[in-house]
Amino acid sequence: MSDAILSAHNLVKHFNAGGWGAARKVVRAVDDVSFDVAPGETLGVVGESGCGKSTTARLLTHLLPSDRGEVRFRGRVAGTEVPLKEFRRHVQMVFQDSYASLNPRMTMLDAVAFGPTVHGVDQPEARRRAGALLERVGLDPARFGPRYPHEISGGQRQRVNIARALAFDPDVIVLDEAVSALDKSVEAQVLNLLTELRRERGLTYIFISHDLNVVRHISDRVMVMYLGEVVEIGPTADLYTAPRHPYTEALLAAMPSLDPDRRTMEAPLQGDPPNPIDPPPGCRFHTRCARAFGPCPGTAPVPALVGRRHLASCHLNTVKEAAE
Amino acid sequence: MAVAQTDIETLATADKPRGYWSGVGRRFLKDKVAVAAGCVAGGLILMAIFAPWVAPQDPFDGTMIRRLSPIGTEGYPLGADELGRDMLSRLIYGARLSLFMGVTPVLIAFVIGSAIGIAAGYAGGWVNSITMRVLDVFYAFPSVLLAIAISGALGAGILNGLLSLTVVFIPPIARVAESVTTAVRKLEYIEAARASGASAFTIVRAHVLGNVLGPIFVYATSLISVSMILAAGLSFLGLGVSPPNPEWGLMLNTLRNAIYVQPWLAALPGVMIFLTSISFNMLSDGLRSAMDIKQ
Ligand SMILES: Nc1ncnc2c1ncn2[C@@H]1O[C@H](COP(=O)(O)OP(=O)(O)OP(=O)(O)O)[C@@H](O)[C@H]1O
Ligand code: SF4
Ligand SMILES: [Mg+2]
Repeated sequence: MSDAILSAHNLVKHFNAGGWGAARKVVRAVDDVSFDVAPGETLGVVGESGCGKSTTARLLTHLLPSDRGEVRFRGRVAGTEVPLKEFRRHVQMVFQDSYASLNPRMTMLDAVAFGPTVHGVDQPEARRRAGALLERVGLDPARFGPRYPHEISGGQRQRVNIARALAFDPDVIVLDEAVSALDKSVEAQVLNLLTELRRERGLTYIFISHDLNVVRHISDRVMVMYLGEVVEIGPTADLYTAPRHPYTEALLAAMPSLDPDRRTMEAPLQGDPPNPIDPPPGCRFHTRCARAFGPCPGTAPVPALVGRRHLASCHLNTVKEAAE
Repeated sequence: MAVAQTDIETLATADKPRGYWSGVGRRFLKDKVAVAAGCVAGGLILMAIFAPWVAPQDPFDGTMIRRLSPIGTEGYPLGADELGRDMLSRLIYGARLSLFMGVTPVLIAFVIGSAIGIAAGYAGGWVNSITMRVLDVFYAFPSVLLAIAISGALGAGILNGLLSLTVVFIPPIARVAESVTTAVRKLEYIEAARASGASAFTIVRAHVLGNVLGPIFVYATSLISVSMILAAGLSFLGLGVSPPNPEWGLMLNTLRNAIYVQPWLAALPGVMIFLTSISFNMLSDGLRSAMDIKQ
């Protein structure tokens, strides 16, 4: 789609996992991932641990060079057509570990003020803006501005991290498990803050989480990843009520529901995902799929349109013999 | 709203509080051993600076009559050396050259070694590998041998001694700097800084230096004692400082023949070297634990 604000095109990232020459092993952390995000939209990203969510986030923000593929911002390739420095001003990131992502020797005010100074705002002005942003994320700048990361709580630190991202006046914020480490009540408050900020500033979020309830709450669309690939992506309501990929179904079945009647009896996912060093051939999910059939072990399914803006990569949707 | 606005205004101009360093100071002062070591080291430095006022005699003035006077001689509380010079005065004056030879190479090596190590550590990849392999070549030699070899090749003299010691200390400091920087570089706050679009230089200046210089500096201070002992060794071998300058290592050398006549007298420069190196070591240990943020 050409009106996407941010899009990934065939992103590939393989990590070295030891060995040389022919014996060289690679972790296929992200394998041919493409998607786009519309302006003002929140795209949720879910999947088991190790499926490549964080790697995707770091490729999207160009913190990690991709092996292949490109990221486009408003249709222009990041790093070439949009210079990296400008790209970074538009696309910001909030990390999971609120403590590790703050310099232990820097006060909260300086942490927020750092970004604007990089982009040419002078020091007093940057600090004034930082103070106003701390205020906006619910932290009294007089009290919290001079503090160090170890002197405040996790929720407060994550507010600072959000303020730091906002200081660039970005269009897109990638939130990698940004609320996962927080207590439930604090998590809810930070989520509310994020929702308010999105409305107020017309932000676009890419919201990565393993908590399907939270993702459902905040996302307009959801993307499901498995072993470095996108298996399904679609509007939140469609995906949650009528998933078109058995993996999504399994994830939803495993999801702790607040409504006991909605809990399925079907055993959800069994065991751990296979090793991403040697992903299974054909459909990567076939070793755990309850509905695997003929073509699954041999042929990899390709994404197929199954609804409005709804794609799924499963032979069940395309191969006729599966219908019965 | 108006109130909040003024808060922000005052903040923008207010000085940064010294939260971290005041904590370090507080923890350091609680460490009795480190404080004692600091006092001894400070006393030695003061003694060196004010040597002309502290020393009772001229350290170069000797007469054969007083040769090897024992400790406790009237007017010569620590006796006299093999040329009849006042031992106490020579030990006091000796602190100047000995401390200078101990501290200067380490300081220079701290600057150069940190620069190399931080650059290599932050760059990572093959730049890092090549730099570290080159340093490993130096590192493979025992430091004593390396110092003697370089100093021997350059010839005697204070400057050559300093130079050889500096070369000896650059690789170990660079190594520590590289490993500390490599660890810091992987942390998320460096990633967050990269996400700001700042240049590598800015990131190193604003986010890396403050977090790595402390540990590197603490390690460097632990080398001061090694440097003093090596410098003394060079002087002992006739490299480094030359007579009649008072320097503890050199004094140990010239007094070695007197070891059978006046063993306690001959041991005094060694005592000073020991005292100084151990106090600097304990000082750096105290600093290291005081800087540990997890306490
Ligand atoms: N720097 C790296 N070097 C080698 N392998 C890596 C590296 N980073 C990630 N990986 C591997 O890539 C795969 C994907 O990792 P990633 O962190 O993207 O997963 P994730 O979906 O974010 O998982 P989690 O939910 O645990 O955060 C994993 O198998 C991981 O071990
Ligand atoms: S393609 Fe086959 S194995 Fe893969 S998810 Fe669909 S049914 Fe299961
Ligand atoms: Mg992750």
